[in-house]
This record gives sequence, C-alpha cells and structure tokens, in this order.
Amino acid sequence: MSLLWLRVAVLLYGIAALAVLPAALASSPENARPRWRHLAIAATIAAILFHFVSLAETLNASRHTVPPYYGIATHETLALSGLILALAFVLVYWRYKTVALGIFILPICFLLGLVPAFRPGQETALPLLNTGWIFLHVALLLAAYAALLLSLLASLLYLIQERRLKHKAPSLPWLPPLETADQIALKTLLFGLPCMTTGLLLGSLIAQQTYGPTYFRDPKILLAFAMWVAYCGMIFIRRHSGLRGRRAVYLSSFVFFVVLTVWAANQFSAVHRFTAP
Amino acid sequence: MSQTDPTVNPTRLVLIGINHTTAPIEVRERLAIPATRLADATRTLAHQPGIREALILSTCNRVEFLTLQDFAPNPTSAPDLNQNPGILSFLNDYLSIPTTTLHPHLYEYREREAVRHLFRVASSLDSMVVGEPQILGQVKESYTVAREVGAVATHLEALLQRTFTVAKKVRTETQIGSSSVSIASVAVDLARKIFGSLEGKTVLLVGAGKMSELAARHLIQHGATSILVSNRTQERAATLAASFLAASITTTVIPFDALYDQAHRADIVITSTGAGRQLFTRAHGQQFLHRRRNRPMFFIDIAVPRDVDPRINEVEGCFVYDIDDLQQVAQANLADRGREAAAAEDIISSEVTKFHARLDARSAVPAILALQQSAEAIRGAELARAAKRLGNLTPAQQEAVEALTRSLTAKLLHPQLTALRKSAAPTPESDQPTGPEK
Repeated sequence: MSLLWLRVAVLLYGIAALAVLPAALASSPENARPRWRHLAIAATIAAILFHFVSLAETLNASRHTVPPYYGIATHETLALSGLILALAFVLVYWRYKTVALGIFILPICFLLGLVPAFRPGQETALPLLNTGWIFLHVALLLAAYAALLLSLLASLLYLIQERRLKHKAPSLPWLPPLETADQIALKTLLFGLPCMTTGLLLGSLIAQQTYGPTYFRDPKILLAFAMWVAYCGMIFIRRHSGLRGRRAVYLSSFVFFVVLTVWAANQFSAVHRFTAP
Repeated sequence: MSQTDPTVNPTRLVLIGINHTTAPIEVRERLAIPATRLADATRTLAHQPGIREALILSTCNRVEFLTLQDFAPNPTSAPDLNQNPGILSFLNDYLSIPTTTLHPHLYEYREREAVRHLFRVASSLDSMVVGEPQILGQVKESYTVAREVGAVATHLEALLQRTFTVAKKVRTETQIGSSSVSIASVAVDLARKIFGSLEGKTVLLVGAGKMSELAARHLIQHGATSILVSNRTQERAATLAASFLAASITTTVIPFDALYDQAHRADIVITSTGAGRQLFTRAHGQQFLHRRRNRPMFFIDIAVPRDVDPRINEVEGCFVYDIDDLQQVAQANLADRGREAAAAEDIISSEVTKFHARLDARSAVPAILALQQSAEAIRGAELARAAKRLGNLTPAQQEAVEALTRSLTAKLLHPQLTALRKSAAPTPESDQPTGPEK
C-alpha cells in the first residue's frame, strides 16, 4: 500500500513541477496566473501528505515484518530527500511568496521519488537502523542538505537577477527580488545548521555505542565533521561580512561540493556500509 | 425615464461621446461632468423622452453617454444628435452646450459596436495610456451612480456586468497592465526587483527636482517610510521634506556638506541636482556599500548632466539607472503593452459575439415558449380525445403513448424552433460604427 501512496505522491510532484512553469515563468507579481500557482502549491502539499503516509506505512511495516528494525534503505532515503525538499519549498513559498525555486526543486522531488516508486529495489532494512534515533539522524542530515541546496539555488537566482539589473536587460518576472533571494539563501542556511549539528551529534552517539572510539577514524566521519566546520564557516562569513552575490555563490558551491563529497564517502565508510560490527 | 413596455417596441443601444482622440481639451472640459453632479445628470438623461436606461462616463479623457432608446436612429446616418432627441435635449437643456460645438468631435456607436466600444473602454484599450488601470474603476463608479438613481435596469445591468467580467478577463489573460510605462513607476518597479517589498525603505533625494519628487511619492505609495532630503539650498530641502510629511513618513533634511557621511543610510538615492558634475563616484559607491555591509543600494539618476558616475554600477551591490535607462525600460514596456493589446482585442471580439448570442437567444425565448405551449395544448387535447377510443390502457401503454406523442411534437416543432433561433441572429449591416475613426 505504501508503494501506491508513493506513486500518487510522485504523480502529484510531476503535476506540480509542470504547473509551476506557467505559474512562475509567465507572470509578474502583479499579474500572476493564480490558477497555475494554486495548482502547483496544492499538488505539492497533496504530494507531501501522500508521501508522508507512504513513509509512515513503510516504517510501520518494517517494524512489524523485520523486528526490531526501522528500515531506511537507499531508495527510501532518496524518497525521503524528495519529501524534505518539497517541504522546504512549501515553507519558502509560505514565507516569501515566490514559486521560482519550484522550477528546480519540484522536478528534483519528482525524480527522487520516481525510482523508489516505480522500480523498488529488493533492499531490506538495514541491520544498524535499529532505533528511531537513526531515522532522526538521517532525516536531520537530509534536511540540512536540502537547506544547503535551496540556499545554493537562491544564491544562483540572486546572481542571475543581479546580472540582469546591472546590464539593464529586460526583466524576467519569475526571478525573485534580490533581497528575497538573499534572505532565502541565508535563512535556509541558518535553518540547516541546527539540523546538521543535531544530526551529526545523534550519529556520533549511535556510532560511539556501536563501534566505540574507532569510529572517529573513519574517513566518512572525519569528512562529515569537516562538512560541519565548512557549513559553520560559511554562515559565519555570510552573517558577519554581509557576503552576497557572486562570492556568496562561490562559497555556497564550495560547501555544497564538500557535502557531495561526504555523501560519496558513504561508499568508502565502514560505518555507513552497515556491515556487521 | 421612458416607461414604454419593453416587449412592444424594439430598443436600441446607442453610445455617443467624445474622447482624447476626437476632441481637444477645450471641448472635453466643456462637456465634462464633475463627480458631484454625476448622479443628477444621469437621472436627468434617463428621464429624457425616448430613453429607457442611461449611464454617463465622464473622465478627463472622455465623456460618453450610453443609452438604451425606444427608437433606433437611422442605421446608415453619420453621428447626428437630431437622431437622438433625448441626448440632444439633455445637452441643450441640462448642460447648455450648443450642439454645433460638439458635432465635429462626436462619435456614435450602436448595438454590437456600442458593446464592443464599452468593452474596449473598460479594458483600457481605448485609453490614452493603453492598459492603465483607473478606467475600469471609473466605469464602475458611473455604473454605481446610475444604478443608485435608477437609470440602469435589466439591459444595461446585464451589459455592464458583462463589461466588468470582460475587463477582468483581459487583465488576467493578457499582460496588458503588468508593465510600467512612466519613469516614476519604472523606478518603483526596479526598486522592487532589488528590494522586494519597499516597506520601511529609506529614500534619499539629492536635489529638489519635480521628477525626483514624483518618483519619491511613488516609492512612498509602495511602502517607503523614510525620506532624506539634501539640497544645496537648505530651505528648499526643508520645504520639500515638509511636503512629504505624513503620520507614517519620517523626513530628515541632510545638510549638503554632510551628504557623503549620511548617504549610506539610504536604500534608494534619487538625484536631480543639475550640478553639472558627478556627485557620486565609484569610490563613494564602494564606501557606501562597505558601511551598509553590502546591502544593495539603488541610484536613480534623473539629472542631465548626470550626478552619478555610471561606473558605480560596477560595484557589487550598487545599481545605477539614469534617465535614458529608465526611458528605455518604459518604451520597451509600452511596446509590450501594444503586443498584448492585440491579444486583448481578440478576447473582446469573442466576448462581443458571445454577449450578442446570449441576447439574441433571449429575444427568441418568448416566441419559442409560445410555440411550445401551443403545441403542447394541441397534443394534450388530441390525447384526451383519443383516450376515449383507446379504452383502458395499462400504465406502461399510457407511458408509451405519451412518449410517442411527445416525440412526434418535438420532431414536428424542430424546424420551426431552429428557424426562430436563426431569425434572432444579429444583422451585421445595421451595427457598423458611424463615428470618426478612433
């Protein structure tokens, strides 16, 4: 049943991804096409609800069928990333009334849900994911990654808008105002920091219990803490020097690269390969 | 207001008026009816002989009389007030305007073309600045007044409601009103692209030019709450600052020699000094941005020669638009509106056809109903007569006979009903405009 809800959610993400194009591209704030915007937002919210139900059923089923595990396999992680990104998009829309980010975020949500929904793998619940805490660890880190992605996208939109204003080019009505893009870029980072910090702390505590001190020598773990330092550094620089525009994009891109490296490092990490301790 | 029975005489929709393209301001101002007199004027017009319903639209660019009349003017004649005795007597008696003065400037539309003209006016396609939003509000005000004095009844009510719907449709389905075409509104648009909301933003006026004052007022309308004024003549700066005073606005006069120490406080700087030299250089831009911790700063340079070094635009976070830049944006927006106007005309054409089709269908309804009732009476009578011969029928048989007779009647009536509906179709040759070219 959870697969059915996930498929409905993916379909709705697809509808939202299509509806957001006319909503954002063919309108100005004063003369926006509300029907498309309403459709995009309503479809996203409905997708989030179906996605949430699907996730809850998956977790519930894994608790009953493979006790005592709470399974989060790679496919589910992808789907969970989509859910968190969609949530982040709705929150940004609610706060800043811009659907511009949806042009990029909603297709990503659709793609992230596509594989788990229509080609579910045979991966079983992972042996180490044996408490709700590990789920929280994963969800918090995914929220931090989503925040960083949103921040990067907002910074890129800032850059495009800035260039067009500087060159006196005809305006693109879908681009958010500079200050809005800047606020989204900064606020999402600020939101991501506690998520990343708590997520890493939880992960450390769980790994400490499972592996003992050797865990800290794992390259993945070292990189994860490097990522946290880079994240904190970026926020510090942005807040204290008022860094914006091109340089902010460079900085966000660098940290995003670090995050991607950490993600890739999963492949080389004994801890995250979840082999038997 | 004429009390003729609307089902007896054919009524004609007639729109007579002058606008900015057909009459100079000297003529328009003689005909203009101030808002305070509009109710009385509308009531008087509606009570003229031969007029059933009336509405007066009086703005600075047009005065139009929309009337529903008992008698149709000669369909082929040029605009002639003698053919519209109700309006003629209103102009003579109420407004005391000699018709010879107006005659060369008048246009007249009837029926379908009157509907089209009204749709175009309310959709701002006939305005001096195409796409300006005020005209729809003015039409609505005229309608409210006319309804209050009882000058609008069924026909104009339906027409005006449709007019508002069409105007809204044009605005939502085209981008006709979305772009700014004046320097001041372009400046506001650009400021909003930088800052988003202008709520709480600070505007610095350097110099006391009329256009910069206008731009500042536009910015205030959109939320700017703090105005700084700096001018070589301190008194002039104080006078200008005082002119912005309002409960929600704070104004400050900055001495001209303190300009560079204070300018960084402003989010938007409007310059119009005519100093003949560049007041703000690239170095100033860098200095301001540093003090503002890189928060963006928007320079609107209306002065010629320019007050702001264009190289400030190279400083990250500084944006400079001079008068030529603003005019280029305004021109481009105007061209966009022209393109959108073509799409709007298509919508209006389709809506005029729909409106008339609805009216035509409505006019055929009484005849259709009469024919159907007559046929039904005959069917009922024949059925009653046949019932004696048929004897006792089972309910199923009765139902079959009912269905058979109904079906026969409907099929026999079909050609007549179709012909009636077709005969209600408009006659295009009588709907041509007779006024001057717009």
